[in-house]
Amino acid sequence: MTDSTNSDSPFDLKSEVRRAVASLEQKTTGSASSTSDLSIDEELNLHSIGWEQVELVGGVSVFSVPAGLWNWGQGEILGASSAHAQAFSHAISRIHKEAASAGGHGVVGVRIERSVHPSHVEVSLLGTAVRPIGAPPVKPEEVFVSDLSARDFALLMVAGWEPLGLACGASFVYAPRRQMSAVLQQSSQNIELTNFTEAMYASRESAMERMQRMAIALKGTGVVQVNVVEGPMPFATHAVGFAAWGTVVRLVKESHQLLHPQMVVSMNDAVVAFDAEALA
Amino acid sequence: MSEEASELAQTTEHRLEELEKGLFTSDLSVNEFLLIKEVGFHPVGFVMGSSIYHTGIQTRKWGQSQELTKLTEAMYNARELAMTRMEEEAAELGADGVVGVRLDVNYYEWGKDAAEFIAVGTAVKAEDGVSRLNKLGKPFTSDLSGQDFWTLLQTGYMPQGLVMGTCVYHIAHRGIGQTLGTTGQNVELPNFTQALYEARELAMTRMQDEATQLGATGIVGVRLEEKTHQWGSHTIEFLSLGTAVSKTSDDVTLAKPITIISLDN
Repeated sequence: MTDSTNSDSPFDLKSEVRRAVASLEQKTTGSASSTSDLSIDEELNLHSIGWEQVELVGGVSVFSVPAGLWNWGQGEILGASSAHAQAFSHAISRIHKEAASAGGHGVVGVRIERSVHPSHVEVSLLGTAVRPIGAPPVKPEEVFVSDLSARDFALLMVAGWEPLGLACGASFVYAPRRQMSAVLQQSSQNIELTNFTEAMYASRESAMERMQRMAIALKGTGVVQVNVVEGPMPFATHAVGFAAWGTVVRLVKESHQLLHPQMVVSMNDAVVAFDAEALA
Repeated sequence: MSEEASELAQTTEHRLEELEKGLFTSDLSVNEFLLIKEVGFHPVGFVMGSSIYHTGIQTRKWGQSQELTKLTEAMYNARELAMTRMEEEAAELGADGVVGVRLDVNYYEWGKDAAEFIAVGTAVKAEDGVSRLNKLGKPFTSDLSGQDFWTLLQTGYMPQGLVMGTCVYHIAHRGIGQTLGTTGQNVELPNFTQALYEARELAMTRMQDEATQLGATGIVGVRLEEKTHQWGSHTIEFLSLGTAVSKTSDDVTLAKPITIISLDN
């Protein structure tokens, strides 16, 4: 978001950030040009359902994690879990603001980059703001954010559903160390490591539940395209983490619209594709 | 293995209760979601099962090809644990089946013999209320994507279960005499060939046995994976994996495929 071209000259970060934040507040509707990372196909898809792209928008948040949290303890590492949740919700509210000030009603194709470090959690979101063609701007709270591609967004709208926002849940749990005698005893046997399995389950369940709660708060009826990342933290092997996120959707028409897909044989290499004509 | 670990954790039940209130979660893409709806199913939840498992040690003879039964058992057992836990979650949701199942093995820094076996998929339920449970009275499982699932159902087949067979095999090293004897010649290496054949056959046969138990008439989408995991060369796991299917309806009108030339790549 900041200008990096003048990195040689002494760089006043504070005023730069202030300027960036101030530019978010300004209303810049009806701008002549628009930026987007959509492909031509996606743009046509958007237009086919009466939407247009407005601007490339983003939101970033870096949230600190208290030092020394990862190494010893038991149960959930609450500090890390809440830092993740905070970073995510801040990034979301920034992308909401930016999209709304650009005149968008929603953001599609959001790329979600998240990384967890010993001292901080970083979440960055980047996507294309879209709106029904020529529609007036809405309030930031009314903007939806979705990691569905523009193509998927169009398809979903045709089927009578709408995206409501992103839901994300993450949880980090401390896996108890096994006693040395137990480790030696088991070394030649096939055995399940219940301490790790249980820790993995604990983090998974709270992460999924947090995601579901966010989805319910958005008044959604479902979450599609859920992504999960799981495993021990690379910097602390006795801490396991689980994060899940997806797009919350809701049925807006009275019933689900069947699309009646047709079988097509593509002359390209084997791909599975929809017939675009069936959707028009 | 402790009894408690095999039962669903309490938190899991709480999460599943929330799902029963109407919210669904799924890792399906929009395409897959719409195709599943198209054939009369509704996703009910993203289900998972996992087990972190320590595989034992088995001595191998340097010059002998043999199945390492202890390792085979470990690979079977751990995957079964993960699959069963996933099925339990699906059954808890009252689902008829699980589609898009992925079976993964992840190795972490906990030690080279400890691996996480994980099964994830999307539980689905028939919208007409007619039960689609398989012969064993359990939700069917399948590693078919939403697209493949739709196509399969068009042909009147129904998935019955994800079937697998595995075999961990140690392939004999060749003696110095053998190696020298074949230097500079075009020649088949019968001991290698035979060992690979045998291991593959064992894995495939085990998979077919599982399909027979389900009363299936065929297995589609079979993949044969060969991995050495962490065991070093000459010890290979042969894993075959596929979806057992059986014909459920004879009344099939297959649409004639339309040929298209796509303009994008």
